[in-house]
Amino acid sequence: MNHIKIMEKLPDRRKACYGLLGAVIILPAVILVLVIYVYPFLQSFISSFQSHGSFSFENYKYVSEVYAYDVFYTIVISAISLLCVMLIGIFIGGYLIISENKVLEFLFKIPLFIPFVVVGHAIRTFLAPKGILNSLLGQIGLVNMESPPDFIYGFTGTVIALTWKQMAFALLLIMGAFESVDKSYLEAARNFGASGFKQIKDILLPLSWGSIGVSAVLIYTSFLQNFSVVMMMGKGDGPQHLMIDIYHRINYLNDYGVANALGVISYILAMGAAIIYLRKVLKNDG
Amino acid sequence: MAEYAIGRKQKLMMSRPFKVTLKLMAYVLTCFVIFGPLSGLVIWSFAEKWHWPAIFPQSWGISYWLKAFKGDMMNSFVNGIEIAVITTIIVVAISVPLAYVMARYRIPIKPVIMVLFLLPQAFPSLPIFANLSVVFYRWNIAGQKTGVILVHIGAAFIYSIWTMVSVFQSIPKVLEDAAYSMGASNIRTFFDVALPLAVPGIIASSLLVFLYSLDEFTGTLMIGSPFVKTLPVQMYTSSMGYEMQIASVTSLIITIPGILLLLCFERFMKAEYLSSFGRI
Repeated sequence: MNHIKIMEKLPDRRKACYGLLGAVIILPAVILVLVIYVYPFLQSFISSFQSHGSFSFENYKYVSEVYAYDVFYTIVISAISLLCVMLIGIFIGGYLIISENKVLEFLFKIPLFIPFVVVGHAIRTFLAPKGILNSLLGQIGLVNMESPPDFIYGFTGTVIALTWKQMAFALLLIMGAFESVDKSYLEAARNFGASGFKQIKDILLPLSWGSIGVSAVLIYTSFLQNFSVVMMMGKGDGPQHLMIDIYHRINYLNDYGVANALGVISYILAMGAAIIYLRKVLKNDG
Repeated sequence: MAEYAIGRKQKLMMSRPFKVTLKLMAYVLTCFVIFGPLSGLVIWSFAEKWHWPAIFPQSWGISYWLKAFKGDMMNSFVNGIEIAVITTIIVVAISVPLAYVMARYRIPIKPVIMVLFLLPQAFPSLPIFANLSVVFYRWNIAGQKTGVILVHIGAAFIYSIWTMVSVFQSIPKVLEDAAYSMGASNIRTFFDVALPLAVPGIIASSLLVFLYSLDEFTGTLMIGSPFVKTLPVQMYTSSMGYEMQIASVTSLIITIPGILLLLCFERFMKAEYLSSFGRI
């Protein structure tokens, strides 16, 4: 009991960090985030309501006429990629936890350290009409060499590249969640003859929904905001990812009004996810 | 019950060859999925001439690797390293004391600060950096290293702060309490107790900041171009221009530091450390 009394006499460690030193520590970071993120963020709202120097909804009207389908396309591409990534993450992650297979785990983590730009290029060399996969399949006669199938640019390629890159991230996050599930539950289930699938579905999943939700949010936003892969896997014609539209508006047309209207829409698409993420993380912090 | 046990045992024994085959197939499939796209990079980087539909290049060579070490590419490489080193130093200097304070002290308007540091992760960064570039043009630092470094600092900070907080949270508080009970001041406790214990975590997370900055693409493109180029931007340009060999060599140069890091620090790579890698 003695040490508890000593602890009580200690100076209050949870005392507030005010004063000059506190300000010196906290302020630079706050100013940094205000300048790099908050100001430009607010600026995109302001600019999106400005057309020819005055307040108007012109930009949004233009977006709804020209880019409505692209908004839809962006949501679909992010949602489908998210679905693929989460399925891989949950089932392969579950399998890796149950079987404790360190080799496969290491292999699946490799894409994590390969940046999106490189992934875009790698998938292009591999899956392009005249890429390595078609060349291989051509040797065994599965692909017509004269006119190799061209499915890679556009929707399919984007989903494949995004999934390839982020499955490592999903595995990392989901396996982290599965890791914290008490192993004795799995053992008990195994003793009753539960298959791997059942162990994942009935034990691992229900016990880690919360963390899986946060992972899904982070990954969804990363798809929504991705620029390099969607640009590299994109097709010249047809629907485009919103980030390409924004880049195009700014870089080639110098049209910040419409670009920012598109930007604000992308914030709104991220908003739901952002709120879920924030609530979950802040709750964990206590 | 006994019957059941025997039946189960038989089932296990019968399924063993089947299981081994399945496992082997899993390995082959995984290697194909992971190394397939990467093999393209390696082969292309050594291909002098490679015409469809041969599986392998008609002639091999290292001339494109040699090209990487001079001219534009060397320039981008040096730029990238310089930017990454400065970014890492500043980010560590800002986030180590702040993380300690956030992990251990009550700070005013903490919820506001938390939200401020969390939210940037949840919103698309391209439109934000597009508007930032307007600000930087006004300040005359767009298209310059200073501008690129500032963006990298901001972007890396919002990840590294959380890594650093978790580093300090993982240090047992009792040790610091012991220092206080011996009469050490707040500052002395930080420098003599908390900081030395946090060094491994700080090194790990500063390596991640370095890697993040080295691989960063969107911010560099929006703020730096066309004057400041790093390897990811250079690589993007050459891949879009179908310069397959140059793009592949650059890709590999970008990728190697990350893979080395993965190999060296596999054990230390906790999920919360790596959330920045969902974005680059």
